[in-house]
Amino acid sequence: MNQRTISSALRGSVVEEDVELTTVELCRACQTSEQQIELWVFEGVLQPRGTSRESWRFSGDSLARMRLATRLTRDLELNTPGVALALDLLDRIAELESRLAR
Amino acid sequence: MKYKDYYETLGLPRSATQDEIKQAYRKLARKYHPDVSKMADAESRFKEINEANEVLKDPEKRAAYDQMGSNWRAGQEFQPPPNWDAGFEFRSGGASPFGSGGPFAGGEGFDASDFFETLFGRRGTGGAGRRRGSVAGEDHHAKVLIDLGDAYRGAERTITLRAPVEGPDGRIALQERTLDVHIPKGIRPGQHLRLAGQGNAGSDGGRAGDLYLEIAFNPHPLFRVDGADVYVELPLAPWEAALGATVDVPTPEGTVQLTVPKGSAAGRKLRLKGRGLPGKNPGDLYAVLTIVVPKAETDAQRAAFEDLAKAYPNFQSRAHLQQ
Repeated sequence: MNQRTISSALRGSVVEEDVELTTVELCRACQTSEQQIELWVFEGVLQPRGTSRESWRFSGDSLARMRLATRLTRDLELNTPGVALALDLLDRIAELESRLAR
Repeated sequence: MKYKDYYETLGLPRSATQDEIKQAYRKLARKYHPDVSKMADAESRFKEINEANEVLKDPEKRAAYDQMGSNWRAGQEFQPPPNWDAGFEFRSGGASPFGSGGPFAGGEGFDASDFFETLFGRRGTGGAGRRRGSVAGEDHHAKVLIDLGDAYRGAERTITLRAPVEGPDGRIALQERTLDVHIPKGIRPGQHLRLAGQGNAGSDGGRAGDLYLEIAFNPHPLFRVDGADVYVELPLAPWEAALGATVDVPTPEGTVQLTVPKGSAAGRKLRLKGRGLPGKNPGDLYAVLTIVVPKAETDAQRAAFEDLAKAYPNFQSRAHLQQ
């Protein structure tokens, strides 16, 4: 007899592929305030879809980026433009390292 | 429990001023921050630096720490003297004296050492203190290590999470819970899985937070992953590279046969389309050619290399070095 076991393991969604986050969800996931998210958006660190704050939708990639920004702000006591610069430089380093390894 | 010398961690004399402490912390934090540093021990160093700073930047904690005396050496077996903290306020109130960031697996803020917790109490969840009405639970983050093969096939993982729970007496204790989680096929390193409602419980009817799992891959001896693409090194004998050959190439899904075109140089990348990580946009697998020169040990082997040299009288292997 063909018996199939149905796994009870929890299934989640892949944030980077299947999820768009609202401002509130992003705040909760990164333990940061809506004002701080607004600052990141105005600094160009985050680029949500939507025209008004209420309708902003952040791509799944924003989660990792925002968490990194939050850690850098907290641990290195950087201001918003400082973090924006650090993120750009880290992106460039990652890209160069990946090119170097290829 | 071992004594920790927080001054030594920050490279400071015990007479350092608060400004010097701030300066030393910032310099070391930039150097060892795990998001920035490539050093292997960056994470543990950063934790120590952070812990030292938490104590020394706070005049009251620093005074209490100093009061234990300067005769202790780092790593020495240590028990705090009785009533060592008499007259200090930092333990009162029950709420965490520290900023936000939860003490969960995978780490945010800093994981305090036993030494720190014995002296200054356990770190709370941040934003502690009693709030009225229903409050949503906090989101929870953890890291999960999987193998490359798990990402090709999908897998199940049992993960153990530690979450701070406030007891009836208002004290915070860490509670363990285990979850079986399905790791979907095609997940890539650095991606996150969101499990709705599996974060910390809400209070008074507030919704539970979500659980975010960050996926990292165990290093593999053969394969290197870059986004959705996978790279494998493929060594060839000189005659295979020169004449072309059909060779077996390992892939995470098993061995496949690959035709190496004649005249292939070392460093050439041969693409196996769609054999990288699976998904909506599957990655590719790249075999990166290297050329292995065999040793000339027998007379026949030496003669074969000599014949090769004779066959290429004008071969300039170093033409590009000539000025």
